[in-house]
Amino acid sequence: MAYSRYNSKRGAATAALSGGALLALALCAGAPQVLASDMDVAGFVENATYYRESRGISKSRNTAQVEFGKDISGAFKTSRMTFNATLRATYDAVYELNDGEWGENAGGPITLANGTFGGRVPHGGGLKFAVGGVPTGLPPTLGFPPSTDFTPFFGGPASPNAMFGLPNVVSMSNPNEGLEMLGGHLSSENGGIAFGVPVRPCDIDRRGCKPLEDYMDLDESEMAWSDFNDRWDFIREFYLSGSFDLANDDQVGFKVGKQQIIWGRTDLFRVLDVINPVDYSRNNIYDELEDIRIPMWMAELEYRWGATEFFGDINLSFVWNFDKFRPSNLGQAGQPYQILDAGSFFRGMANCWENGCTVSNFPVPAPGGGLAGLGAVDFGPGVIGIRDVKLPEWNLSNTQFGIKLEGVKNEIGFSLNFLETRQQLPVLRGHIPSIDPFNPFVIDDYDYALAFDIEFPRVTLIGGSLDLYWDAIKSAFRIELAHTDGEEFADTSVPDLYSESDVVRWVVGWDRSTFIPFLNKDRAFLISAQAFGQHLLDHNEHIGAVLPGLPPPGKVGMADHENNYLFTLLIQGWYMNDRLNPQIIMAHDYESGHTTIAPAIEWLLDNHWQFTLRANYKIDDGVSTWDDDRASIPYPGLSAALTGGATTGLAPTASNGGLRGANPLGRFADGPLGMAQEEDEIQITVRYRF
Amino acid sequence: MKLHRKLIAACLLSGAAVSGWSQNATMEDVERSFHPYDFEMPETGKLQPGVVVTKDNVDEIGKDFLDEGMYQMVKDGWVDITVGKLTPIVQNEKYIEATRKNLNTATLGEEVGELRGYVAGRPFPTPPSLDDPRAGEKLAWNYRFGLHFGDAGAIYPFYWTFRDMNTGKVEKTLKMEFNAYNWKHRTLDEPIPEVDPNPANIFRTIYMRVDEPFDVKNTQLLIHRYEDDLKRDNAWLYLGFQRRVRRLAAGQVTDSFLGSDLMIEDFEGYNGRISDMKWDYKGVRWMLVPFYEHDKMELGDQYKEDDGFRYITFGGQGGCFPNITWQVRKQYLVTATPVDPSHPVGHRDIFLDAQTFAFSRINIYDRGDKLWKMWFIGQGPDYASLPANQGQGVPVYDGFGMMDIQAMHCTTGQFKTEIHPDRVTPKRFTPQYLRAVGK
Repeated sequence: MAYSRYNSKRGAATAALSGGALLALALCAGAPQVLASDMDVAGFVENATYYRESRGISKSRNTAQVEFGKDISGAFKTSRMTFNATLRATYDAVYELNDGEWGENAGGPITLANGTFGGRVPHGGGLKFAVGGVPTGLPPTLGFPPSTDFTPFFGGPASPNAMFGLPNVVSMSNPNEGLEMLGGHLSSENGGIAFGVPVRPCDIDRRGCKPLEDYMDLDESEMAWSDFNDRWDFIREFYLSGSFDLANDDQVGFKVGKQQIIWGRTDLFRVLDVINPVDYSRNNIYDELEDIRIPMWMAELEYRWGATEFFGDINLSFVWNFDKFRPSNLGQAGQPYQILDAGSFFRGMANCWENGCTVSNFPVPAPGGGLAGLGAVDFGPGVIGIRDVKLPEWNLSNTQFGIKLEGVKNEIGFSLNFLETRQQLPVLRGHIPSIDPFNPFVIDDYDYALAFDIEFPRVTLIGGSLDLYWDAIKSAFRIELAHTDGEEFADTSVPDLYSESDVVRWVVGWDRSTFIPFLNKDRAFLISAQAFGQHLLDHNEHIGAVLPGLPPPGKVGMADHENNYLFTLLIQGWYMNDRLNPQIIMAHDYESGHTTIAPAIEWLLDNHWQFTLRANYKIDDGVSTWDDDRASIPYPGLSAALTGGATTGLAPTASNGGLRGANPLGRFADGPLGMAQEEDEIQITVRYRF
Repeated sequence: MKLHRKLIAACLLSGAAVSGWSQNATMEDVERSFHPYDFEMPETGKLQPGVVVTKDNVDEIGKDFLDEGMYQMVKDGWVDITVGKLTPIVQNEKYIEATRKNLNTATLGEEVGELRGYVAGRPFPTPPSLDDPRAGEKLAWNYRFGLHFGDAGAIYPFYWTFRDMNTGKVEKTLKMEFNAYNWKHRTLDEPIPEVDPNPANIFRTIYMRVDEPFDVKNTQLLIHRYEDDLKRDNAWLYLGFQRRVRRLAAGQVTDSFLGSDLMIEDFEGYNGRISDMKWDYKGVRWMLVPFYEHDKMELGDQYKEDDGFRYITFGGQGGCFPNITWQVRKQYLVTATPVDPSHPVGHRDIFLDAQTFAFSRINIYDRGDKLWKMWFIGQGPDYASLPANQGQGVPVYDGFGMMDIQAMHCTTGQFKTEIHPDRVTPKRFTPQYLRAVGK
């Protein structure tokens, strides 16, 4: 049964809590005794409690982290060698404390806009596709029970409820409960599409989990105990680092193990710092990258010439990421932090594929041809949605590697970088076998059909960085530039609904210490500003064609901006000998117009206790919209219905962009700032360091 | 030997009396510079070793040997000063010989910060003269090329303690490593006379790494100072939580370092360019300064070292004063005034030790000419230091204090200093080293 309750959840959580607490206790207390006396041990325990306006507690994360370091220089004839390990145990109690929003009781019944037909209908209450193709108000007529699995007969959609597109959306496997409307936290549909997203953990509600297996299918305990999973994320780092002195005074350095390898010179923006994937489910983009980079098993080998006749310093390093590929963690539907709300989009789509779904404001052909209007339409399983996540298997050819030449010349630090990697953000590749809802006995890979697999394409990055100091204005500058080949983006103008584009990204950072006497006459403030640019060199955007029966054309193509710019500004001050540290961070997305302001004050009471109070406030600028492919004609039957013509022999037609909405692609135009515009928060963190 | 030097001194002094102040240094000047107490000893009156200067007797026996800042502190009962015996600090003969060999080769350029012809050793061993308008600048050059850590040195562990001067509460303790390495004008430790290649023409590099506490763990600082003093230092900072090397803006050099009462510019007394200051020589003072034999001090057991090394302790008001003996030594008073009008410091009154050219004591005034901070650095002979340092002929730094009188706050430092440790090589002073060591 796809939808089930996990009655023993509380027991499992208790067991997990106990186990985690024991581990944390062992890490905190036992390790120093167990390990060698000269092992350097440090760490912290912390509670981070965040409160989100309108939704209540969004985080009550308890963390114990211990870092171990041991100098074993001399071993294996090294001139320097250290062993380093970082263990972290995290338990987020939000799924217990606020389970009406983020846990077993999250979500509820939803309604969806019925477009020009008026009113709203519940999930499962949309127009039905009758045999012959045109949606009507009739209930499904095919007499198979919902649990019948037709896959062995027809292949294609791996759904136990495949009904040839004849929907039975509301069934015991897909009831109207535990749902949120996609994008509903930002706005109503406003004429666009939306569908229901199951938001309860996958052990409570399996809907939309199986197609996202090993990607976004976490149980509640896995969400709460995010470090304890089959990739052993509680081992944050575990590596040997060292160097050999050569006879010619050069050095060979190495670093092998589970680790973070950081390239680049800028904060927040990841232009070159892309070796490790990132866990955005922890706190979107706002936690320190050190805490949200996902460590990977990697080896780094470095040849250090040091100062030469030409360079002040020069070295060449080779990085081999031999770990099994991991994408960035975007967060899952039902988790408080999801970058771009992508987790909800994916799970909702996966549920559409698996169990069918009701989509608001969808075009409905008139019985005699042309467009009858827009209405909530029920799609059966296997018609639209996400079928599978294709995570690359481990093999040698799937590993990643990079080369970096870094040095100093004429007091300018520089690096040249090359990385053969994979896109850590997913791409939805269309053109997979799916059911024609107008002719449900045909399964084909239709052009422009909203049926996808998630993939992570190979990407080649070439870039470089500089840092320099400009004395005349007492400022330090940091610059990064990267060109990637192989990245893929959603594109509504092509049959596969994605296309590749070379991308250039750059960041310029500016740092200056400045006295602001009326605020602090004894200590300067750090002012740090950054500008980030992204340019899609093969950006595809144009006005769609006139299509019979559909509204006048609008823009189609890539929702991502061809050129976009983000700006950040940090002002940080220090009082009481750096024990009271106020700061404010502002970020602005130029194209979407969204702004985030994050003031914070940190108070270090002594060597151990630390309190931090933050706010995260967004100045919203509405919701962006983009062509949502509703105006495409993937199926010959639809073409026929619109034109009143024959059901065969008509070419599929791209969307003309005449219909658009916030879902699903407006989120790419809105970016991480815009999609979190309703997530204003107060955040309190208490940390004990040891 | 002493008699020989005194005879030379007598002969040459007579010549000097005839010619007045002369720019050209003599061998006598070299002897006088490195062995001042062979030529003159202070008249200290009742201020004899073992005597304790307190608020009750400071006016009677100590006032003439204390600067205005220290006098006021003793007078206010913040600290008692125990007088120790004078311990001349013999410096390495190779350095002295380099001074002799290159005598009078160094000359000042037209601008402050320009030095021409300098090779090695002490560039200006001639006793400073109040008639010489650039005497202060020459003393600053002597400081710059002094044997502060020999040609390379390390302090590890290096404990900095932040204290509330009113209550004595310890707010924070940093455990660090400090390294310094001279790339040029080397006299004691190979490579001599300089590191090659040195394409950036670096004179000296400084590296610091913080091991504790957790919030600043793995913070590393790297400073490149160039042979050309008119060229701005380059500095890089590695922040453990960012795991990145960042170029430091110049303003950060004159700002509190990690919340301490020191700026990066305050390291070792003064860690800036000669050209950043206007240097005015104010004359000779016989002063009580924190010079002592480390092994004869009251040492503490707060920190345990495998080799049994023990650190000096602190007491007095707020725990900001070292529990050591102070000795009367010959000091040159120089006033250093920042050239940059936006510099947070109004001026510094610096007392340079006439023998070692350490910046023993500094009173730092704010831009309103009000006493802001007081600095001292403890120094002693190598024979009272770690066994590996003995015989190196390098004065050994042992502890420091920086007191912010206005904020009633202090930072104290306890050193375990190593001279010429094998691990301190040029490879350590690159931005890449920061990345390699930082996690």
